[in-house]
Amino acid sequence: MTDHLSASMLSALADGELSAEQLSAASEHLEGCASCTTSALHQSLLKAATAKAGVRYAPSPQFQEHLTQMVAEGFSASEPLDASSGTSPWRPGRRVGLLGWATAAVLLLASLSTMLVQRIRQRSEIGSEVVSAERSAFVTEIFDRHLAMLAGSLPPEVLSTDRHTVKPWFQGKTPFSFNLPESLPNNTTLDGANLTYLQNQPAAQLLFSIGKHRVSVFVAQKAGAAGSDEFDADHSGFHVLGRTAGDIQIVAVSDVDPARLADLVDAVELAQKTDPKESR
Amino acid sequence: MTVLPWKRAVRRKNSRESGFEDLALPLFPALYNLAFWLARNPTDAEDLVQETVLKALRGFASFEPGSNFKAWIFRILRNTYLTSRTGLAARRTVALEDELNDRSESGTSLYPEGAIDRETPELNLVRLADRALLQAAMEKLPPPLLEVILLCDVEEMKYREIATVLDIPMGTVMSRIARARTALRESLTAGLTTTREFSA
Repeated sequence: MTDHLSASMLSALADGELSAEQLSAASEHLEGCASCTTSALHQSLLKAATAKAGVRYAPSPQFQEHLTQMVAEGFSASEPLDASSGTSPWRPGRRVGLLGWATAAVLLLASLSTMLVQRIRQRSEIGSEVVSAERSAFVTEIFDRHLAMLAGSLPPEVLSTDRHTVKPWFQGKTPFSFNLPESLPNNTTLDGANLTYLQNQPAAQLLFSIGKHRVSVFVAQKAGAAGSDEFDADHSGFHVLGRTAGDIQIVAVSDVDPARLADLVDAVELAQKTDPKESR
Repeated sequence: MTVLPWKRAVRRKNSRESGFEDLALPLFPALYNLAFWLARNPTDAEDLVQETVLKALRGFASFEPGSNFKAWIFRILRNTYLTSRTGLAARRTVALEDELNDRSESGTSLYPEGAIDRETPELNLVRLADRALLQAAMEKLPPPLLEVILLCDVEEMKYREIATVLDIPMGTVMSRIARARTALRESLTAGLTTTREFSA
């Protein structure tokens, strides 16, 4: 090897990523090239220094504790949570540690029946807080997906206004099947669709236009408490609308008038109730 | 027979729970560190990590036991960051720069001889000993270069793992790491010059 080692080669050398053949050639070159040897040494020094400088931020103990509790409780969403857990949404100021202990002390003095009633109520509230936090995260994810689509300015993965083209495209890509409405509300057109992931599960992102407003309608299998119920939410000027039809979950997001968005969601929801054979 | 990830049998709840905790808890500090570097403020970093953990919790059934959990959860973090508002803004900001760099790489020589630092190791040691200077240089890196250098040097991931996390080819990982280190060297050189001017 007569040429100097490239920056990529020097980096890979410092990272231990060269193949045996490349390493042999590099070693041979370094034996006779002081310049590259110096650079290789510098790469190693830089790597070591970056490794140290890069460990800069550490989560607060409260946040770590919160995450640990979230993980423990996340697997038992159907079970009520303990009153002292201080669950999501996360912000240290919202934690009720001292208040919880004081409340517990008062409850000890109260009658057994009163304590039971209060505990049931607290558990119910905290349980609903967890669902609310999950819902909030779900809405944010939906919003982010829609925003990414708008910001990306990329054509849909399946670019068609024909439902007979869009629906079959998902065969084998999603573990479920769904229908597209035969007729859409006034001034609404199908633009295409993308395969996406919601809560790490495959989902269809159907793209519509209502006038000049872009709409994403996500169709996925029902999973978790966050998206299983019907809900309406507003997020940063966008409206998010959730519906269910059997095992299918439908969530739409757009900045269009909520009533017009609801018309489209109703149409998609109604289509799920038709015989799949009819919609082909 | 290949089984699709979402069709895999659901494991028992208790083993799943302890499995996730065992794998995820030790990674919280690392996830937070990367999240903070990318988001640049504690509130967004906490939100990013919390959302990542929530997504990982929900998607853990689709995680293949025995595969690389660290790469899996870091990929979730990175994708969550990309679709966040700060991530989208950062992507738009660096898109042009990234494009230009890629274009310049298409020439015959990726890095001309003059671009490679040939200074003495002693001078390099002086610069690298200044942790604050290096951190300032890292802050100046565009997100695509910062994330790759953090995954490589701080998280000690192999190029193959980084390619999985970032969903880019190995060759791109290599070139980004080299570019990141070149940029760091340039920043450090500039920083040292400024420091000397002030002290003179």
